[in-house]
Amino acid sequence: MKARIFSSYIVFSILFGNSLDFNSAINTSYGNNYDFYNYSENLLDINFFYNDLQGWIQYEYSNPPDIGFPINEIRKFRMEYSTGDFNLKIGDIYEIWGRGMLLNQFDDQITNFDNGTRGMFIEYNNGPFLVGHMNGSSNMYSNQYSDRIPDFNNIHNMNANRLQFDWNSFSLGLTQLRSNEDHQLTLGPNVPVNHNLKGAYISWAGSNLDFFSEYVDKVSTEYISTNAPNDTLKRGFGVYHNLNLYLGNWGLSTEYKRYSFDAAHGDITVNDYGNQIEYQQMPTLGKEQNATLLGRVTHNYSFNDERGVQLELNGSVFGLAVTAQYAHLSRDEEWRSKTTFDWVEKSIEGFLPSSNESALPYWENYQEISGYLFNDKLYFKLGRGQNKDVLKTPTYFDSQQQDRMIDSFWSYDTTDTVLFGYDYQIIDSIEVFDTTYSNPYNVESKWWQVTKAFTIPLEVNYIFENGYTLGLGFQYQERSLMDKKSGNSEGYSAADSSWEMYNPDDYSEYFNTTSTKFFNTSGEPVETQYNRLVYISISKAPKWSFTITHDWTTAYDAGIPVDPYYNPLEAIIFGDLKYFTGGRDNTNPPKWAQNRWVSAEFAYNITSSQRIAIFYGSIQGGLFCSNGVCRLIPPFNDGLKITYSASF
Amino acid sequence: MSINKRIIIFFISLICIISAEESSNTNTVPNLKIRMLDGTKTTIHELVEDGPMMIDFWATWCVPCKKVMKFLDEYHQEFEDNGFKVLMINTDTPRSVGKVKSYVRSQNYKFLVGMDPNKTISKKLNGMVMPTLILVDKGGQIKWRHQGYLPGEEVEIKNQIEILINKIKENTIEG
Repeated sequence: MKARIFSSYIVFSILFGNSLDFNSAINTSYGNNYDFYNYSENLLDINFFYNDLQGWIQYEYSNPPDIGFPINEIRKFRMEYSTGDFNLKIGDIYEIWGRGMLLNQFDDQITNFDNGTRGMFIEYNNGPFLVGHMNGSSNMYSNQYSDRIPDFNNIHNMNANRLQFDWNSFSLGLTQLRSNEDHQLTLGPNVPVNHNLKGAYISWAGSNLDFFSEYVDKVSTEYISTNAPNDTLKRGFGVYHNLNLYLGNWGLSTEYKRYSFDAAHGDITVNDYGNQIEYQQMPTLGKEQNATLLGRVTHNYSFNDERGVQLELNGSVFGLAVTAQYAHLSRDEEWRSKTTFDWVEKSIEGFLPSSNESALPYWENYQEISGYLFNDKLYFKLGRGQNKDVLKTPTYFDSQQQDRMIDSFWSYDTTDTVLFGYDYQIIDSIEVFDTTYSNPYNVESKWWQVTKAFTIPLEVNYIFENGYTLGLGFQYQERSLMDKKSGNSEGYSAADSSWEMYNPDDYSEYFNTTSTKFFNTSGEPVETQYNRLVYISISKAPKWSFTITHDWTTAYDAGIPVDPYYNPLEAIIFGDLKYFTGGRDNTNPPKWAQNRWVSAEFAYNITSSQRIAIFYGSIQGGLFCSNGVCRLIPPFNDGLKITYSASF
Repeated sequence: MSINKRIIIFFISLICIISAEESSNTNTVPNLKIRMLDGTKTTIHELVEDGPMMIDFWATWCVPCKKVMKFLDEYHQEFEDNGFKVLMINTDTPRSVGKVKSYVRSQNYKFLVGMDPNKTISKKLNGMVMPTLILVDKGGQIKWRHQGYLPGEEVEIKNQIEILINKIKENTIEG
């Protein structure tokens, strides 16, 4: 099938070569390091245009890719016919309706997230009305156990419809999506699930004000048998509002979200199905950061169960761009532990997010000033980011308890019986139990894990008269990761079926403890992790740039890494001459090699549309998020990366 | 992978690389529909009816994009009398698309801003690397294409705009 498509494209090109326009892009990347982490990704994109026809083919040869399965075939293709009012697409479809609460499709190679549909899309626009329909199937993969190879595969057979009405600056849209999903579980056979989503959105744009609102309702059912109706699994809804105000050179963006498709204490895993589906990729209400250290402390957003507000003010002062942002998010409910494993939820009153730890609140604020100075010779960007994230609550009880007291006593019943003229005394005895309860008393047993980060990213570059540019970047971060416990109870005793008091003799005695989860390279606990990232670059426009990056941390929350693969750059910077004299000892590397990652990159513009970059060194692994999809990137130790990109 | 396939890929890639410079000067920009920041709809060809245009792809989180924007806005205003315009195509996803207008207005930028949240246009014009600059003449021919931004490249960008405008002026005088 794909070979035929490719052949058709070649034949088509030859036949209609004269009136055919096309453009292409090549993206090639290769990586190899001492940890046997190697990849080779090669992507060729070809777009062609012939009158009202448009086509796209993406060929990929990756063996292995950075993330995903090896591939050597046409990965994507699409034919499109478009006239004034009519649009037909066949192949790989990517659509966004509204703000993506019902449908937001994209292909992100970095996180290996692809929720596109292979099928058909048809849209007709007549005056103020627009009608669209799409159907097809999607093959979606996700990682849970492996960093690089997807573990789970969900297949959706879907159809979706949209009706939109536009009148001047006003738009109203009605959307609907139905999907039959073949959902893969950790163990056992796949589960057939049906999803039915209905949505509506409305928007209006004025000169000093505009707004957007979207609502989606979702019902998911599980197929039982042909003779039985589907079993309703989950019902949920989502709502999103965006109101923007403009005054002079200032703009205020306000956003509100409430996503309620599923709720659970703890993480929602692949075995919890029937909730938010992959097509639903809605606004997160968090700042999209471009500083490396801020990117590492990104909140893990929940599309199933989260509400929040975000404000962002943009303006200019003396020609400099100023940004101030604030966001507060939380789950839709607070949780209380009845026992160690048994939790009950309580909906949060009102519309705003909660600050209660059991609702896993998250706060972030970020301020930035940037712009050009000295006749556009100096560019600078200075930011300040702060966030606080409650990650989990192993225990959270704040209520009353009564002690059950069981008193027992013996009751004697003496009876005289006359038998055969004699008087007998019979004594019956019985142990009587009397259960009473003590007066209710307050019990508080709270245990939550919280992380805080304070980050300052700074970037400066200066353009000299001779065309050279010197750049300096410095990012500084203080981060803590704490277990916090408070209350007058140390925890739940399953044996006694009650909360054990901290001081059994005095229930009014409360404790409050904080213990860090960070350890330094010697294995000793430390309260604060200090992260520093420094990069120095020199470039000559429009041809080349050379950058050296030094990433440094002081503490770890997991095991202390053992990294014998420190690279020559690290050895030069830290004066380890043994590295070059054959004295490198892989079994006993210097301590500094464990918490520093040094790399160098040289990028060269072969032509204005062709670029090659050669990277050598090490990169710290960690969380990487894009479009609300996060991926844990493994460390890259002492290796080489080459990337080439061209578009024409 | 079979040897044949490797050879096919190699040759296709080689042809593309070799022809890169030439083809960038001969391709015509497709007539793609685009929705502007103010909600109006237009097409690329309608926008190049009056004169040449620089197309640039950007996002609110892209620092190099913001660095070059200031200069592109200056060129948009400086060469406006020659029919030149700058079209900044925003590729922010629904995650941050609500902040685009706020940012553009706060900087008082005068250039045109188009919206491409699902990257339909950027994929068709190979603008997935940000920023990607595409200089198009009045007839829709792509005259220059550039990926990325290094500080100081604004000089080369302005140079390319001036070359194109001067050519148009020369043709007008000759015509």
